[in-house]
Amino acid sequence: MRIEMILNGVRRGFEIEPGDTLLELLRREGYKGVKKGCETGDCGACAVLLDGRAVNSCLVLAAKADGRTVTTVEGLEADGRLSVLQEAFLDAGAVQCGYCTPGMLIAATDLLNRNPHPSEEEIREAISGNLCRCTGYVKQVEAIELAVRRMEGKDV
Amino acid sequence: MALTKVTRFIRPRTLAEAFSALTENQARIIAGGIDVILFPNEATALIDITSLPLSGIEQGSDGITIGATTTLTEVLESSIVKDYLGGVVADALHTVASPLQRNLGTIGGSLVIAHPWSDVITLFLALGARVRYFDGEEHEVPLSDFYARNVHRQKMILTQVELPAFPGESAAAFWKFSRTAFDIAILNCAAFVRIEEGVCAEARIAVGGTPARAAIATAAGEALVGNPLSPATIDAAVAAAQGKVEVRDDMRASADYRRELVATGIRRLFSQVKERLEGSG
Repeated sequence: MRIEMILNGVRRGFEIEPGDTLLELLRREGYKGVKKGCETGDCGACAVLLDGRAVNSCLVLAAKADGRTVTTVEGLEADGRLSVLQEAFLDAGAVQCGYCTPGMLIAATDLLNRNPHPSEEEIREAISGNLCRCTGYVKQVEAIELAVRRMEGKDV
Repeated sequence: MALTKVTRFIRPRTLAEAFSALTENQARIIAGGIDVILFPNEATALIDITSLPLSGIEQGSDGITIGATTTLTEVLESSIVKDYLGGVVADALHTVASPLQRNLGTIGGSLVIAHPWSDVITLFLALGARVRYFDGEEHEVPLSDFYARNVHRQKMILTQVELPAFPGESAAAFWKFSRTAFDIAILNCAAFVRIEEGVCAEARIAVGGTPARAAIATAAGEALVGNPLSPATIDAAVAAAQGKVEVRDDMRASADYRRELVATGIRRLFSQVKERLEGSG
């Protein structure tokens, strides 16, 4: 079957099998920032924005993305510049092995789009579906807090 | 992983069309579509009912209605839901699965698929929810009957759930115990009480993940009715629940451990219920 979506801002059409997952489609099309981790919705490494909300792409059938907007980590930068959040992850040292980073960035992007001034508790809840096996989540939380301060116009 | 048995993806335009596709095919209804991936079966056709106008939350005079395909996130972010019974549903849903899954999973999916560990079922049983479903004709039944009677949940379409409005002094609470933030609960429970002239006029306690699917602990509710919410009444409800709720061993916990959780859970529920009653009074 044929589906169409706005993928990272570009209208794209794909020929898929009705049982394909969005994760499989995206990786097949070269969006390798979408990580294939557990494939059971537990690790969050495959997270993408679907109509602006962060979801596990392993738990979404590709057919369900028809007519919708999908953003992968590759689509977070604009005009060749990383997003404020991406810069903050680098500056705060929140990237260690990097495997969980795309999913963390997607989950945090969803959070900050809806709630530009989150509490630490809200940040922790937002990334609670994203497993990091290197760290204790402290650096990621700090990175998101840094991005918040920068978006508030504070000089950091 | 790809569902290799699936050859058709159907987007029905009407409920009748969805139902006829369900009866004519080796088919399965999907909404969020999580379960079909995690627990695939022999279905060769998937019927995506998110193409139907079954999503949304409305405040009515008798309570609030939630369309079957409304996601858990849409429910917990709804201002109508936040205002309902001190925000008990919104607070509870923050602890269900992960935000990434709540953005996909639907209320209808939670109730129809009815995993024994479901937190939503436990809470909605305590609240006295009613469901509407279509199996060629429309039905409206209490959620408890939806599981108790012989409803063939794979051959019907749930369309709506209704949470009743409660006049006067009412409060509810939800509590679960799990090893990590979004692991399946080892036990979950929920309570609802309505107070009239200082005593419980109506009370329901539901316990789930026992590890069987949630059920109303009738004896525990009966221990409350007619009595004030005193420590002695709560002790009686705990004793009744521990005596009557059937708990079993599984890979997550022993029956003995769960029996202890029943007591702990019910005590925590009533400390929340009392806080909410005082807060609203």
